[in-house]
Amino acid sequence: MVSISDVISIIIFPGALFIIVYALYCNWLVRKTVARLQNRRGPMYTGYAGLLQPFADLVKLLAKEDITPGAANKPLFSAAPVVIFALALSAVFLIPIQSITNLWAYTPIASFEGDLIIVLLILSLIVLSVFLAGWSSANLFGAIGATRVALMTLAYEIPLVLLTLGPAIMARSLSINTIVAWEVGSVQSFFTAPTIWGLLLGVVMFIGFGICVLSLLAELEMRPFDMAEAETEIVHGWQVEFSGKKLALLTLGRDIKVVLASALLTSLFLGGPAGPILPPIIWFILKTTFCVLILSNLSALFARFRIDLMLRWAWQYLVPLAVLQVMAIVALSGVI
Amino acid sequence: MSSTEFSIPIGPQHPALKEPASFLFKVDGEVVVDVEPRVGYNHRGIEKAMEARTYIQNLYLTERVCGICSNAHQTLYAMNVEDVAGITIPPRAKYLRTFIHELERIHSHLLWVGVAAHEIGFDTLFYYVWRDREIVLDMLEEISGNRVNYAWNAIGGVRRDISSDKIPKFQKMLDILAERTKYYTQVATTESTIINRANGVGYCSKSDMIRLCGCGPHARASGVNKDTRRDNPYLAYDEVPFNVVTAESGDVLGNVVVRVGELVQSVGIAKYVLDHLPDGPIREKFNPLQKIPEGEATNMVEAQRGEDIHYLCSKGDNKPYRYKIRAPTLANIPSLIVKLKGGYIADIPIVLAGIDPCFSCTDRMVFVDETKEKTWDMTTEELRRYGIRWYSNGLNK
Repeated sequence: MVSISDVISIIIFPGALFIIVYALYCNWLVRKTVARLQNRRGPMYTGYAGLLQPFADLVKLLAKEDITPGAANKPLFSAAPVVIFALALSAVFLIPIQSITNLWAYTPIASFEGDLIIVLLILSLIVLSVFLAGWSSANLFGAIGATRVALMTLAYEIPLVLLTLGPAIMARSLSINTIVAWEVGSVQSFFTAPTIWGLLLGVVMFIGFGICVLSLLAELEMRPFDMAEAETEIVHGWQVEFSGKKLALLTLGRDIKVVLASALLTSLFLGGPAGPILPPIIWFILKTTFCVLILSNLSALFARFRIDLMLRWAWQYLVPLAVLQVMAIVALSGVI
Repeated sequence: MSSTEFSIPIGPQHPALKEPASFLFKVDGEVVVDVEPRVGYNHRGIEKAMEARTYIQNLYLTERVCGICSNAHQTLYAMNVEDVAGITIPPRAKYLRTFIHELERIHSHLLWVGVAAHEIGFDTLFYYVWRDREIVLDMLEEISGNRVNYAWNAIGGVRRDISSDKIPKFQKMLDILAERTKYYTQVATTESTIINRANGVGYCSKSDMIRLCGCGPHARASGVNKDTRRDNPYLAYDEVPFNVVTAESGDVLGNVVVRVGELVQSVGIAKYVLDHLPDGPIREKFNPLQKIPEGEATNMVEAQRGEDIHYLCSKGDNKPYRYKIRAPTLANIPSLIVKLKGGYIADIPIVLAGIDPCFSCTDRMVFVDETKEKTWDMTTEELRRYGIRWYSNGLNK
């Protein structure tokens, strides 16, 4: 039996509509932060401090002509943007944000043992759809961008999966909701009775958070890992042939990926939407905003990697560090 | 072509190229196997147009050969006309020309550093450099009234004077520039993501560079110690102390090192010139329709991108009989091809940008039949008919 509150929470809050609006806000936040760091102003005129600019861009793109290249694989080419958008959106459903029946609860829209695996699977499926999108567009730059996306996956996917294992091992659960509950519990017990092991665990988790941010930066194709769309090299890579509604869906999908990434970081390392005094939704917004700020800060700081350098760098530093982190967590989980 | 190779066209329209030129790359995966350059998309017929205009009118035309090295071309043209007409310019004019010449180099090199940063995806550096470039542009605007085309030269001298009460202000602006340049030198040579993208990328050896006649900062990055300002002094360069900056690495990092080094030198020259500005008139008289005697002159200047060479032939009229311009980009294309081969696709933009290309200055039109080994010219009407025939017969397929 589907209740009205279920329908509302899927469609309006904290479901699709809220996520889309929040994704547009994240888009604005990234643009504004990067712009201020680069000594620019960023969006200014649409809404307060340009807050409505991402929405205006979306509407504009929806109204633009939608061109499909004659040589493209049409079913794949048309399906890819929808699939990317839908996958990203459905993954956010599995992350605890806010319950609409109880102001102080934060059960996700769907929660079951193993939903962490599903989120990781969806992240991989998005990469696959991006590859197919680039490949099906019958464009040289698209094809090069697509192969770069696939190559990049080799670099960041393994550390990303390893790092999500850490919290899961500690919480002895593969459900994001249980992981969040464990984090809240362990932070509370640490503050009531601090131990040296708890402190050590905090340090290891912090390292994990750092590596996870770097992996997600690559997942989101943000600088310095934007070689799959590298404007000056391959003219926006896999997106090059997309226009109109398809491009609108792709940009929206990318923004939702930013929400997904920051929500995942929040849930796995920052205690999810839990926090004192304020309701979960406010904590969720504060914590994810913090994550987005970190991501956009990093993306303004570096020059773009070359694809071979990135692979070498990931396997030299990222993967060993992630393995070490997991080993440390396993060792600590025996003690705590 | 093996099965794993395919060709990608960069240009005539491509975000990495600010002007139309075409490079057809044969790539194997991410590695560039072969490059086929093609210039000539932006022929404007300036040399021919000059033959129909008087010497004064041509001042403005030569300035428009290039947007960035406008003053270099114009200075060179004025030097050529003065040589044939037998005019010696006053010392103050010499110094003022040197001053603007160096300011233009500063603004062009800052622009290049920004563009290079953009090509390797480091937009933050790009925005910072271009913000500070505004200082030198403001200075040029205050001196000449324009940000890029200064209309600074007259035949026989310069058009305007710099009043002495503005000199302290300019000195202060140059000090800020020197300080910022030092900072960017530090960033560009120590930031690891830049070094990753620049070190060893786009290599051309010194012997190859000499064999292929590279010039300017591009050649100096390969260790070719050649600078027209020192080797063949013009304007006030025999009186101004400065060093020629070279690098041995021959790669993009060398390009960066040479250009930021030259920035420091240029600021030094500009400051020296302001301090030692001689008194006196700023130009000799030259009538708008004045005829100059029969004769020829060839001069060169060190423009920002390399050696710029102009040739003037006069038949005693008030218009040139023939004028020939060799812009530095043309000389740098053969060595550019060496640099591109064997590199990665991701490095194409930065290697291309490494020579600071300016294709519209370079483009000329001449018809060559390779099999019969002959060249010829075409009139506009012939060219039009040729175009119609080309497209109607489907020859372009």
